[in-house]
Amino acid sequence: MTATGLGWPSGLPAALDAAIQGSRAADGPFAAARSARLDAREEFPAEACALLDGCGIARAYVPAEFGGAPGGLPELLASLRTVARHDVTVAVAHGKTFLGAVSTWVAGSAEQRRALARRILDEDAVVSWGLTEPGRGSDLLAGRLTATATEAGGRRLDGTKWPVNNATRGELISVLARTSPQGGARGFSLFLVDKNRLAEGSWRPLPKEPTHGIRGADISGIRFDGAEVPAGALTGRVGDGLEIVLKSLQLTRTVCCSLSLGAGEHALRLVHAFAERRALYGTTLLRLPLARRVLGRAAATVALADAASLMAARSAHCLTGEMSVVSALAKAGVPAIVQQTIDELAELLGARGFLTDRHVDGMFQKLERDHRVVAIFDGSTAVNRSALIAQFPLLGRLAHSGAHDAAGLAAAADVSALPALDHGALRLMSRTGCSVVQGLSAAAGRLGGLAAAGAVPQRAHEVAAALAQEVTAVADAVTALGPATRDTPPEAFALARRYELCFAGASATHLLLADPADEARALRLTAALERSLELLRPGHEAPPDAYEPVLTALAEPDASAGAAVTAKELIA
Amino acid sequence: MSELTARPVPVSVSADEVREWLRDRVAAHTGRPVEEIRPDLPLTEYGLDSVYVLGLCAEIEDHYGIEVEPTVMWDNPALDPLAEALVPLITAH
Ligand SMILES: Cc1cc2nc3c(=O)[nH]c(=O)nc-3n(C[C@H](O)[C@H](O)[C@H](O)COP(=O)(O)OP(=O)(O)OC[C@H]3O[C@@H](n4cnc5c(N)ncnc54)[C@H](O)[C@@H]3O)c2cc1C
Repeated sequence: MTATGLGWPSGLPAALDAAIQGSRAADGPFAAARSARLDAREEFPAEACALLDGCGIARAYVPAEFGGAPGGLPELLASLRTVARHDVTVAVAHGKTFLGAVSTWVAGSAEQRRALARRILDEDAVVSWGLTEPGRGSDLLAGRLTATATEAGGRRLDGTKWPVNNATRGELISVLARTSPQGGARGFSLFLVDKNRLAEGSWRPLPKEPTHGIRGADISGIRFDGAEVPAGALTGRVGDGLEIVLKSLQLTRTVCCSLSLGAGEHALRLVHAFAERRALYGTTLLRLPLARRVLGRAAATVALADAASLMAARSAHCLTGEMSVVSALAKAGVPAIVQQTIDELAELLGARGFLTDRHVDGMFQKLERDHRVVAIFDGSTAVNRSALIAQFPLLGRLAHSGAHDAAGLAAAADVSALPALDHGALRLMSRTGCSVVQGLSAAAGRLGGLAAAGAVPQRAHEVAAALAQEVTAVADAVTALGPATRDTPPEAFALARRYELCFAGASATHLLLADPADEARALRLTAALERSLELLRPGHEAPPDAYEPVLTALAEPDASAGAAVTAKELIA
Repeated sequence: MSELTARPVPVSVSADEVREWLRDRVAAHTGRPVEEIRPDLPLTEYGLDSVYVLGLCAEIEDHYGIEVEPTVMWDNPALDPLAEALVPLITAH
């Protein structure tokens, strides 16, 4: 872990970090030169994936009760972020197995869950997830791939899934199929297909698609022609497909934030190191006020994204029934603010951000391309915002009242313990709205007490109180907007964006309140809060020194992992 | 968590009343006059697709102070059967 991260402090992420750091020299699996070469040749990062297998990353994809890692979604988030910090392509290529498997955790029988856990843990089986079909995009209910009942009691699959990550490399694929001709919300079911057990000639992989970013990943597809699967392939019940997928997406969308966090940290590290060394006008770029501001703002944005992602991942365990809202807030909000930051950092890097192999093997332009896909797959930003808008009427009312699940919120913010994730408690919509946002006003009040006693920076309380005003303003606007439909006006999407920023700022507030004693962490969360207000209020600028603490922390040795790695060495 | 379901809860309610309240909400969601909302047509006809009807479900829970399995909206795609399905849940509350 870096000294600045908020995530899971030990276990898999630390092991992954050590292994990756050790494989960056010469032409090791995570060497920048190798990463650049594979990207240029559109070659799959097989050695890097094997290294992750060797670290036991598969344990992060499996619930603890079936032999997985104890840290649940936060540990998975931190694990994939650790990988993405070096190479987003590898994180996308390997992490897909969680997406393929998650529906079985959500709706599979105990036997199905045990069997899949064994395949993943013992054999490092690659699992993919086939939802999308050619020409049908985000509309899950437009799918034409059919699963027809056979006399033998199984199902016959006919149709195509494309584009699908790891469709070719994967041994297993979870497939959403039409099981009633008229379709509709109850017309689809989910099947876990074992490609090894399909009759020869009943399926074929579709060629790898050339892509703008994550060029080495296996973005391909699969076509079924009368492929027969046994009755046991069905996940959940017939007609449950959409429900299972929507619940599963609540978890996968949250985990997607790991890609943005990693990419954001990588970009920050590269540009910070560059600015430190770049001599200009008798000083260094890092000392020029504008550059300092851009870098400080970027560091604060990553801290904000970190807080939002961590609260979202912890909410899966502690505020499970709210994940339909929380996951949409995280998946729309986090990639968007990180992408904006990467763009601003690119400007600072000047020509080096643009040339493909002149500066640290073109790592910046690669991560910049790689990150673009995060806002597109697993539900685009617009798809997530419309899922949120669908719940606006209740969210508006609850944000006004300040009512929230106080016990769940306290558990989510307290990083010292984590209850198991109860997949059965996931709900298609939230009954209690979003406790993180609704609880902000109360939290800001409590921060006021702490600030008066000198236990937290005074500024943290001021900004949290200002954020609480923003929540009220957003709630007013949501209420004025009225209920939502498919013909949602653009204003609703702009409001969704503001709500996402309120969630991120509120996340930082709750995390700060839960553990105010750690000074470095408090400064980092205060900077995150400042940044959320800046993003929420057009024209508002954080005070001149607001981001200095996070900027200085970037140059300091990594204390938490005891690895004594400086930002400078990290990019070498 | 009591504040979370703070709305007044009717003691007993008829299917007609529930249906009329639902028609009102659908009219508000879709920006159409209430008279245009037919209780025998699937809500998808009015642009309330499978995700948007979940928002309507959240309002039902909030208004009547009940807990509903959200898939009730998918299993009863039109307002007539939906109202029938909701009445026992509301009166049992
Ligand atoms: C690299 C890569 C890997 C992928 N991997 C997988 C995979 O493993 N498995 C899989 O099933 N799919 C995968 N996909 C498919 C991905 O999830 C689709 O891109 C997605 O379903 C969206 O489809 P579309 O891009 O055709 O956009 P469309 O759905 O055609 O959308 C077009 C535009 O409309 C917007 N839009 C869509 N719906 C709404 C709405 N309700 N409200 C407002 N705006 C809306 C979109 O944001 C977009 O801007 C992958 C895609 C890529 C690029």
